[in-house]
Amino acid sequence: MTIAALNADQTDALQEVVNIAMGQAGDRLARTLDVFVKLSVPRIRLVHVSEVIRTVQEMISNTSLVSAVRQAFFDELRGEAVVIYDNAGCKDLANLMGYNDELSTLEEQELLLDVSNVLVGACVNGIAQQFGADLSFSPPSIMAEKIPLDLVLSPENLSWQYALLVEVNFGLENSDFKSHLLILMAEEGIDTLRTSLDRLMEAI
Amino acid sequence: MLTPVTVVDDSALSRKIMIRSLPAEWSVDITQAANGVEALEAYHAGKAHVMFLDLTMPVMDGYQVLENLKKDGFNTMVIVVSADIQPIAQERVLALGAMAFIKKPVDTDKVRKILTEFGIL
Repeated sequence: MTIAALNADQTDALQEVVNIAMGQAGDRLARTLDVFVKLSVPRIRLVHVSEVIRTVQEMISNTSLVSAVRQAFFDELRGEAVVIYDNAGCKDLANLMGYNDELSTLEEQELLLDVSNVLVGACVNGIAQQFGADLSFSPPSIMAEKIPLDLVLSPENLSWQYALLVEVNFGLENSDFKSHLLILMAEEGIDTLRTSLDRLMEAI
Repeated sequence: MLTPVTVVDDSALSRKIMIRSLPAEWSVDITQAANGVEALEAYHAGKAHVMFLDLTMPVMDGYQVLENLKKDGFNTMVIVVSADIQPIAQERVLALGAMAFIKKPVDTDKVRKILTEFGIL
């Protein structure tokens, strides 16, 4: 590995920071949909661009088609959040949001953008808050619709060599709905993050 | 006498924060556990008169720990400490026999208040 990975303490601290942020995002989603959101342990990996698809496939192990929404964040922390939705569960999401009929393409896009905005805003802001950092966000945009997972993050769409990949997933109780929030931070973003983690650990 | 206390969390940092949040005058013998299985081992070894229990953990999560404790007659006082701040999560752990729920990040005053309220301090 040509860039310094996070050490064990930094990884542990990041995992806990993400865990707290994920809890806040899960709570927001639960309130939006009025259901119980199932959380699991966040996963963190440093990946080379050539490995990103395989790593994400290992994390998500999804066989159906997916849709994805991307949203960049910048200022004191820099990176990109990608929310991946399992298409099989999107119907449940639509029902929970009060749509009874088949959704038009436009309505479905709007729904995914809204939910992504809730998840990314709460989760990424939750991380930044714990570091005392301020962030700005680009508006969310549709990155992929109903395509196989391995085509969502193809290396030609990515502008970095190494990135830190953080994965959290949100499931809904009694539902097939599943979404995965990936946070990708490239080389310079990782350096800033490492400094923030060290500062956080010193303060404890 | 030292009170046997087990702090259960998969994050070492989080366990450290929890231990630092305990009132200084409380005389405790602390055991750390990184998952539910280790938590139950500590409980069966008599090291958990009070247990601070995380929910989202690998191997065995906090809900499963509570279910196991219930089967065993619940010979401990469990305070759930979790980042899962959904009101339903809180209701569920209390229904499973937990004594109290503390949100992460942990508020030291809240820890003291709960320990006092339940006559532990």
